[in-house]
Amino acid sequence: MAAVQETIDQVKKIDVDQYKYGFETKIETVKAPKGLNEDIVRFISEKKGEPAWMLEWRLDAFERWQTMNEPDWAKVSYPKIDFQDLYYYAAPKSTEGPKSLDEVDPELLATYQKLGIPLKEQEILAGVRKQGEPSQIDEDADGYTNMAGKVAVDAVFDSVSVVTTFKHELAKAGVIFCSISEAMREHPELVKKYLGSVVPKSDNFYAALNSAVFSDGSFVYVPEGVRCPMELSTYFRINEKDTGQFERTLIIADKGAYVSYLEGCTAPTRDENQLHAAVVELIALDDAEIKYSTVQNWYPGDKNGKGGVYNFVTKRGDCRGRNSKISWTQVETGSAITWKYPSCILRGDNSRGEFYSIAISNGRQQIDSGTKMIHLGKNTTSHIISKGIAAGRSENTYRGLVSAHRKATNARNFTACDSLLIGDKCGAHTVPYIEAKNASAHFEHEATTSKISEDILFYCMQRGLSEEEAVALVVNGFVRDVLQHLPMEFMAETQKLIGISLEGSVG
Amino acid sequence: MSVAVMKTKTETALVDGFGEIADTLPGGGSVKSARAAALARFAGNGLPHRRIEEWKYTDLKGLMKEALPVVVDGESKTTIADVIVAMGAIGRLEVPRFVLVNGHYRKELSNLDGLNGVSVAPFAQALSSDDAAAALELREEDRGSDAVLALNSAYATDGAVIDVASGSNVDAPLLVVHVRAGPTPRRSVGRNQIRVGEGAAITIVEMFVAVPGSAADGQMNTATEVQVGAGATVDHVKVTTDLGQVTHLANWLVDMHGNATYRAFQYTAGVGLARNQVRATFKGEGVKLDISGAFLARNSEHIDTTLFVDHAVPEGESRELFKGVLDDNARGIFQGKVVVRPDAQKTDGKQMAQALMLSETCEFDSKPELEIYADDVVCGHGSTSAAIDEDLLFYLRARGIPLDEARALLIQSFIGEAIEKVQHEGVREALMIEAEAWLAARSKTNK
Repeated sequence: MAAVQETIDQVKKIDVDQYKYGFETKIETVKAPKGLNEDIVRFISEKKGEPAWMLEWRLDAFERWQTMNEPDWAKVSYPKIDFQDLYYYAAPKSTEGPKSLDEVDPELLATYQKLGIPLKEQEILAGVRKQGEPSQIDEDADGYTNMAGKVAVDAVFDSVSVVTTFKHELAKAGVIFCSISEAMREHPELVKKYLGSVVPKSDNFYAALNSAVFSDGSFVYVPEGVRCPMELSTYFRINEKDTGQFERTLIIADKGAYVSYLEGCTAPTRDENQLHAAVVELIALDDAEIKYSTVQNWYPGDKNGKGGVYNFVTKRGDCRGRNSKISWTQVETGSAITWKYPSCILRGDNSRGEFYSIAISNGRQQIDSGTKMIHLGKNTTSHIISKGIAAGRSENTYRGLVSAHRKATNARNFTACDSLLIGDKCGAHTVPYIEAKNASAHFEHEATTSKISEDILFYCMQRGLSEEEAVALVVNGFVRDVLQHLPMEFMAETQKLIGISLEGSVG
Repeated sequence: MSVAVMKTKTETALVDGFGEIADTLPGGGSVKSARAAALARFAGNGLPHRRIEEWKYTDLKGLMKEALPVVVDGESKTTIADVIVAMGAIGRLEVPRFVLVNGHYRKELSNLDGLNGVSVAPFAQALSSDDAAAALELREEDRGSDAVLALNSAYATDGAVIDVASGSNVDAPLLVVHVRAGPTPRRSVGRNQIRVGEGAAITIVEMFVAVPGSAADGQMNTATEVQVGAGATVDHVKVTTDLGQVTHLANWLVDMHGNATYRAFQYTAGVGLARNQVRATFKGEGVKLDISGAFLARNSEHIDTTLFVDHAVPEGESRELFKGVLDDNARGIFQGKVVVRPDAQKTDGKQMAQALMLSETCEFDSKPELEIYADDVVCGHGSTSAAIDEDLLFYLRARGIPLDEARALLIQSFIGEAIEKVQHEGVREALMIEAEAWLAARSKTNK
């Protein structure tokens, strides 16, 4: 069924040339020389003041990376990346203790402003005041009085975590939320135990590269029985030219813990392609739950496909404990190329994995994204809802794997993938792999471009709705259901960000 | 990622063995050079393996342990009675048949009476004509990259060339029966060509069967090219009930022209390793395509169905329904790729693959794939796999039906839904009997 006009108009509105976050911040940075070799790995490790075991870990990963080949199975095409022509480390030059916001580099402030970070948090981000100190800004001055919806932010600028907010409040609850370099110094036992336990160093080409050169990222540990008191969030921004950003996120929810984590990304408009190769590892122990949400809005390149971010990300969650749950929600609107498969290893009995995705491609964007649900434990369940919208000359592929192993008795999966094409120059593809090695596994997969069942429409229309209204009603209900998996704070931002009603995406 | 792989013993034998029999294969000079070229293509690629996406679940390089000798001389002991028995329930239909034994046409076993508007000739004979090399070459360029097809071109001995005259309406189904016979394990390589003229209608049943008492081992490489003329209606059924540890590699290459209707059905049971590939291309607008099938596997049988449906022109309709029953350590594979090309607006495609898993150790791998480049289309696919529904079993048992019977009833109704797709009543009923016999054998061994 063709898209309704309204949707087409709205997609046009977010045409790639109107990328809102395409500004560049001119800030002095410290960079490592271009190229990649053992010395660069050592340089990064030294810059971060890492313990010796960490350096060894990196060097081992680097060695393995050199023997690996770039994967080429995804339905994306791009010129070969010259890994020696990139900067692997760039950090904003630290300005020692400005007294007030007036002394802070106005460029940096402008960046925060554009990103919509509240002033009070800007103070902290710029290092004007430390956590817990009173603010110089009047409570009402920036209209930031509603503290109920608090979000702790870890901002990563190029390669370095700039600062983490609300650290102390979190500490009161026992939650550790800091940059991963800090975690290596303060909590080496946790990092040592869990780093690389979900995504091994040599898991794939980009994961190995990340393991060797990752510069920063976030670390979260929620102790046993604790429900994290606020949403945690990381804001990533690639600013420097020719810079690769390699961040590493590690989240551990101990027994019975709960945490919700948000991730957002933007990059300036550039003619060259930028590389982003992150690794995210989630670990949920017994009865724990992790909710991971992403709004990915890297610069997608211009309408002719010039520039844009290559987003090659390995995200994987391990439901290690019984009754654990990991839920991925992603809104993918940016990047020239997206290669990303947030997965769940359902190891613990009764564990549950969820994947909710909205992927929108426009211009010359190429998205090859999906999920893997690997059922290992008994009575494990997984749920996949993926919506792809392709416009312009873009290619949008859902690629997913659902597998049940011999011992995964009573595994259950339901997958629904919907694609919508706007225009006749784009492509939408569905490539699911369903592997059942167990008779009691119950797998259902469906993918359509016209999702709404005739019965439902008939039912609605029988009650006096026009077909258009009926479609809108059903689609609205469905989309709201997906968007509901995003935390409140993100929902509004997401709606603004994608600037598009999803009405008609299944029509 | 290109990985240099060592040549296996089988691959070496397939390449080296060619020289020994090349002179005895049908066809003159131009055919011989076409065969040599095909073999060179195969030698370049080797057998497909799991690093090749289309062969991810069927690693032929690993699974094909040996290259059996190709039969160059016909075996003559097989009688009509043997053939009828080998054909099972379909053998009871009194319809025209074209019989090949170990890859060679056997006139005395065939019966082509009562076929009006249809000419049937052996492929070996076609190879002796003037444009013989063209007859051997598979038409499309990309087909040259398929190693199994290349092997077929190199070694093909015989098959049926069926021409249906425009406008003729053939009532009785025409059977093309490939019989495997004899105590020595052999490899047969068959090639069929079906050309259906404009507005004609016919039912063709291709069978792959074995005479009871034949060697447990055997290899079959068969390819059938089908040209469905504008407005023609073709029902094309494939029945593979060969016995034993047979490796069965089948290809159907179908081109459908404007407003044609092509209904395909593939029934596969009792085959050690089967790969059924269908490539159907929409060549004209308004074509209706239906490819369905049922596969039944037990022990460590491996049955792979791979479809490639190419909507190259607008206003095509495609339907696929495949149902599989898997027992013991059997493995069922379904790969269905539907491509809708940029101009193929108003395409309507639906696909469903379902597996019923009867044992704890069977496996079903499914990869329904959509590749869509046109926006005004309705396309969908579905795939399910599960064990027998306990609630349904309970319902039947609560009405006094014993467990075994209840189970058999449910399996029958599951598989029956696919077999219902067969248009010809006699063939449909015969297939239902075949499926029931398979189930009966199953419950016997389970007791």
